[in-house]
Amino acid sequence: MHHNPISITQLSHSYPDGTEALRQINLSIRATERVALVGANGSGKSTLLLHLNGILLPQTGEVVIGELSVAAANLVAVRNFVGLVFQNPDDQIFMPTVWEDISFGPMNQGLSQEAVLHRVHHAMLAVGLDYETYAARIASNLSGGEKKRVAIAGVLAMQPQVLALDEPSAQLDPRSRRQLIQLLHQLPLTQVIATHDLDLALELCSRTIVLSHGQIVFDGSTEVVMNDRAFLEKHALEMPLSYARPYCELQHQCELQHQAVQNRIAGQYYR
Amino acid sequence: MLLHISSFQLDIDSQRASPWHQLVPQTRVLCALLFVFATALTPNGHWWTWTIYAIGLAIGIRLSRSTLSVLLKRVAIESTFLGVVLLGTLFRQGGTVLWQWGSLQITTLGLMILGSVAFKALLCLLMLNLLVLTTPVPALLNALIVLKVPPLLVAILASMYRYIAVLIEEFQKMRQAATARNLMRYSRWQRLIMGNMIGSLFIRTYERGDRIHQAMLSRGYTGLPPAVTFSKVRQPDIKVLTLTVIWLLLGQIIYL
Repeated sequence: MHHNPISITQLSHSYPDGTEALRQINLSIRATERVALVGANGSGKSTLLLHLNGILLPQTGEVVIGELSVAAANLVAVRNFVGLVFQNPDDQIFMPTVWEDISFGPMNQGLSQEAVLHRVHHAMLAVGLDYETYAARIASNLSGGEKKRVAIAGVLAMQPQVLALDEPSAQLDPRSRRQLIQLLHQLPLTQVIATHDLDLALELCSRTIVLSHGQIVFDGSTEVVMNDRAFLEKHALEMPLSYARPYCELQHQCELQHQAVQNRIAGQYYR
Repeated sequence: MLLHISSFQLDIDSQRASPWHQLVPQTRVLCALLFVFATALTPNGHWWTWTIYAIGLAIGIRLSRSTLSVLLKRVAIESTFLGVVLLGTLFRQGGTVLWQWGSLQITTLGLMILGSVAFKALLCLLMLNLLVLTTPVPALLNALIVLKVPPLLVAILASMYRYIAVLIEEFQKMRQAATARNLMRYSRWQRLIMGNMIGSLFIRTYERGDRIHQAMLSRGYTGLPPAVTFSKVRQPDIKVLTLTVIWLLLGQIIYL
């Protein structure tokens, strides 16, 4: 596994209508780190994720995935390195059956029949889908939670080193959301999770990046930023529910002070 | 109509056990295609040929144990579309005039052509519906690849099948949203709203297509669908194919 799988320098991106989606992004993510990417709607989270996989190519600046710069010549390797899970599983599951969809990525990698079968088995096992029950199921007849699992399995089957997820808990019922959190917790991959679900971010990610109007306004400990009500509200966010209740705030006052000290030591920063 | 179907499943009889179901999908497709071609290319007026084919088809339908009511319902719906096209053949010139009203006239030739084409269409629709009813769609698509249909075309068919349910669901949600705000009460309004819905559905489909393409690219898609391996043709498949060919030739021999 690469020790520094993602490094982004001075990345900017404008959409054809002139909207500046990303401005001067600098970012480095270490191996097996789990990073939450939070921010208001339209703050540039999805645009940033699309850069990790080479769906969007850098207009200015550079995105380096592993050893490779994201450019047209390296796209195959970059896409094998970073697996992207889209927000709406219906956009991602485009083959008629579960088996065909999960095997789509490995087949594009040119693997043998046995290797593909092995990968599909393994990926379905990883997301907790029984092979016998689900392999032949028609994708459109699955529930929302099942579709999400299939979408993640489709990406895992490519054995990427980085998993980038766009709003993974959107439209999931509490149990499916809980299962998803457990699943992501178990996966030993570098993960970048773009989300509005701040409780999920708090539970899964030790590091949080806050985006606002295409810029990084915070990059550091999740605990610290989730306790800063004024800062979160300024950037159209709010404290996670688990922190927002008064008794929780009391309980976390001590932790906050402790974290603030640690934060200063670690040299993390607000911009 | 189609927009009122809440759950959409084409292959409701695909899990049955019957001699027809034991055949590999490519054999079934090949049998159906041979049947359709032989039926469609038979010259008009060869009633006995089609009668022989109809007997063969009836045996096939009986053997496949497919749900007759669903089969007939589907053929009936499809026939209404065909009926509009077929109506034109009725008023063809030539032969003895049986009935005339202004420039419109029904002739013996027109009736014969209408009868022939309708018979052919009915047989072909029954055969193709039997195929779709009894074969899982993914297997059907794989069979097309085996039969050397261009893979890109099959990939487009696969996407159509995958997304038709999503589109129906999206349309129904829009209709519910309109109903919830009492917008569907007046028929004049209804038409206007329906038009708008279809328009926005088109734009959404376009956007969704874009997102699906991104998802495909992110999993290493390079422009051609990946190759798959398939079930091999066995002894019963060859027997059934031979039988089909003999039966089809038998129908043609009568008029030689």
